[in-house]
Amino acid sequence: MTTSVQPAATGQMAGRPSPTGLADVIDTILDKGLVIDAYVRVSLVGIEVLTVDARVVVASVDTYLRFAEAANRLDMAETGEQGLPEVLETTKGVPSADRTKKVVQGVLEAADEKLTDIVESHGMKKKAPRRREEEE
Amino acid sequence: MGRSTKVSGGSVPEQATPRQQNMASYLYGVVPADLNLASDDRGLGDPPGEVQLVRHGEVAALVSDVNVDQPLGQPDDLLAYERLLDSVAAKGPVLPFRFGAVLASPEAIVEELLTPFHDEFLGALRDLEGQAEYIVKGRYVESALMREILAENPEAAALREAIRGQAEDVTRNERIRLGELIAATIEAKRDLDTRTLLDALSSHYSTAMVRPPSHEQDAVHVAMLARTGEQRALEKALGELGETWDGRVNLRLLGPLAPYDFVIAQEPGV
Repeated sequence: MTTSVQPAATGQMAGRPSPTGLADVIDTILDKGLVIDAYVRVSLVGIEVLTVDARVVVASVDTYLRFAEAANRLDMAETGEQGLPEVLETTKGVPSADRTKKVVQGVLEAADEKLTDIVESHGMKKKAPRRREEEE
Repeated sequence: MGRSTKVSGGSVPEQATPRQQNMASYLYGVVPADLNLASDDRGLGDPPGEVQLVRHGEVAALVSDVNVDQPLGQPDDLLAYERLLDSVAAKGPVLPFRFGAVLASPEAIVEELLTPFHDEFLGALRDLEGQAEYIVKGRYVESALMREILAENPEAAALREAIRGQAEDVTRNERIRLGELIAATIEAKRDLDTRTLLDALSSHYSTAMVRPPSHEQDAVHVAMLARTGEQRALEKALGELGETWDGRVNLRLLGPLAPYDFVIAQEPGV
């Protein structure tokens, strides 16, 4: 057996990245890393590992209805009485300089912090997130 | 995931836990033997175990004592595990073990893990030298995404018109068809945007893994193995991409992290 540095197969687990940090951690560590069973079989200790709910992202009728509602909501909330041509124009429009700045700055700030910092800044939650369908 | 670590073969737990008070050694990962631990490194468990290096030759196991009567997997445990491995990854190479790895004792770690696999671990650690994992997550901005899809797809736009102002149960079929179109379009956009991201950052990583989306509106979710010394350049390149995606995709960069996505044990049928 060799231990090599190469892409590992990922499991089917999925989580919802959220500002709590815990979701990021769960996304990142579960089902990844070396598996000890592959190396050691004798003194491996049985210890209960609590399960963490993870919802695999599978498109379903529920998803479809949610997307349709999002499209519908967009119409009412933001485009008002616009027809399709105006929608097209909006899409192709140049974003304002302000927003550009905000997004780029956001990226750079995010890059600066480690996941551990994010975790710390949001404190520790006692429960793993079990519902992932709510909006931001 | 969530799977209990089982004693396999003919051994039974009683034989496997000879240490006092049901304590065992929680294994976080394997590191070079000359790693310097930070004084504030803490392990998981309650109270947090003291983190130690169990050395053998040029490699060492990163461990802490853990009470086997306490189930693992509380959020605090996951956070502690991840924090320790990432703090080590920021300093040097580490081979992370999947959450939940527990062995009977430090002696068992040396005899069963470090001794037989010393050279494999050392080789993998050398491959990782100077590198760590970085994760890029991107989420579509919903309103921009929907606008983009409706503008590009006349059928979607027509369906949207059809459901406007109509009760949900009356337009159920149209809604499902519209949602289906949107879902398929997002998937195609995700593939394209992931490709764009990998191309834009190609000179900044040695290997990349596309992760499954963790949310239905994920634009990109990629783990990369990149040089920690060139993190600024990676951030800059990602920032430039973020600018072209302004208002459309919100990007986040996590790292440096332990290379969870890039270590693998290859079993030739043990």
